[in-house]
Amino acid sequence: MLYLLRLEWKKIRKLTSFRLFSICYLILLPAILLTGLRFDELPPPINTNEVFFMFPTVWQYLGYIGNWLCFFFFGFLSIVVVTTEHSYRTMRQNIITGLSRQQYFLSKFYLIVVVSLLAALYYALCGFTIGYLNTEAIYWHKVWQNADYIPRYFLMCLGYMSFGLFLGFMIRRTGIALFLYLAYIMFIELILRWGVHLQIVEHRSMHFYPMNAVEDLVALPFLEMADEFTSKYGFSIYLQPWEASITVLVYSALFLYLAYWRVTRSDL
Amino acid sequence: MNVLRINGLTKKYGRIKAVDELSLEVEQGMAYGILGPNGSGKTTTLGMVLDITHPDSGSFEWFEGQYGRDARRHVGALLETPNFYPYLNAIDNLGIVAHIKQVKAPRFDELLKLVNLYERRTSKFRTYSLGMKQRLAIASAMVGDPEVLIFDEPTNGLDPQGIAEIRNTLQRIAETGKTIIMASHILDEVEKVCSHVAIIKNGHLLASGTVGAIISDDFLVEVAAEDMPGLQAAFKTDSRIKKAELQEEGVLLLHLENETPAAAINEWAFSKGHTLSHLRIVKKSLEAEFLEITANQ
Repeated sequence: MLYLLRLEWKKIRKLTSFRLFSICYLILLPAILLTGLRFDELPPPINTNEVFFMFPTVWQYLGYIGNWLCFFFFGFLSIVVVTTEHSYRTMRQNIITGLSRQQYFLSKFYLIVVVSLLAALYYALCGFTIGYLNTEAIYWHKVWQNADYIPRYFLMCLGYMSFGLFLGFMIRRTGIALFLYLAYIMFIELILRWGVHLQIVEHRSMHFYPMNAVEDLVALPFLEMADEFTSKYGFSIYLQPWEASITVLVYSALFLYLAYWRVTRSDL
Repeated sequence: MNVLRINGLTKKYGRIKAVDELSLEVEQGMAYGILGPNGSGKTTTLGMVLDITHPDSGSFEWFEGQYGRDARRHVGALLETPNFYPYLNAIDNLGIVAHIKQVKAPRFDELLKLVNLYERRTSKFRTYSLGMKQRLAIASAMVGDPEVLIFDEPTNGLDPQGIAEIRNTLQRIAETGKTIIMASHILDEVEKVCSHVAIIKNGHLLASGTVGAIISDDFLVEVAAEDMPGLQAAFKTDSRIKKAELQEEGVLLLHLENETPAAAINEWAFSKGHTLSHLRIVKKSLEAEFLEITANQ
């Protein structure tokens, strides 16, 4: 495993998009949250900007920002690391040089696990630091109250990246894969869920779509619409965290399996 | 030792058979040329033995199976185009190859000097000219001193100077006794580098053996006389002449082992009672010979 991870590191450490995406993530995650300092008074029910920075709510707000950043930067990264190796024909060369197809797939899989892990650790670090500096009275149970956000955050990032890896291996062209990734998450799945599924059956099964489950792992902290939705349809707009976790695990496994199948079957 | 054994390998693309029941064997120390026109299935064959193309049927075995699935780590290969990470320099790119092959102490400097890239070793691959890319590919194939080197059209797209450089490099490697498998559509290249050759066309094996046996370097002479059948019969029984074939143009083509002066041939004919009306020494080009072999099937 270390052999494959070190190989990936040799490949990506000088990759422009990897450097750019990582730096953007590292800067933007705390920076966006800190722009909340500019809003002293907020409309109800938030009222004050303190909740952004205090335990335990810091986990939710920081997590929601991270949700968008992971969706963009790490989702893109997972596509780019696969499709560029196709266009440079280096995947083919890796196999010729001696890597097996399984190893090639595993190297990409390990990469997204490690990136997700580091992203979640950085989220935890930022959360602890910001929370620690902005909470006047620190009670440990308050600090840990929402700490289950950390593993959920990891799973969220892994969910995006598995989907990206899947698209990368299936489509092979950077531009088309990126376009489909964005289009699916931002439009296609929404249309399927709200425009098709909900119109046919008003059932909470409409939430069990892969990318919705990923988003619900670290969902928007407070949403008035959520209550309206519940009263209108009789079920919550969000999945329970455990439901979302299982759904994401199942879909990610499926995506990764299909990507693996593609790698082992196709001519390069 | 048997380095590569290919058994009835077949690959179809739709209705077209790119490689059709191809079988061949490469022994250790051979410089083995796979010669064929463009689209004859050379690259497809190499792609299959390197696991990047799935064969429809048939099998192959590297090193009599002694390395199992890791066999490719003992093979250095360049297939079609040089494929490297454009944003990395030569050293970093070779580093990835060495990492995959698990080479403990790769001698990059030595290799880069061998292919004349040492001065540009820290330039990014994307800044290289085609010739430099090709040379880096040769260096990369040699990382870890693999037991077999595979080159696919190594001089493709190069200028004459580049072609000469690459051929010299290949000849030097071949002389060290390393096993080389080289695919090419240029007969001259195969003849210069290889000891053995397999000629393929439309995925079929047409002929294989030592370069000397396959690509004949006979001394050829065209003769004609009034009594052509008689002349042919006379020369056919002559032990100094390997072959006497009647050509379409109405001349007799004689194959001789060694170079012989025209006067001697005239004398032989005269001693058999034939007065030659035509006598011409033809040094048939190897290119024409190759075309003949591939066209006859």
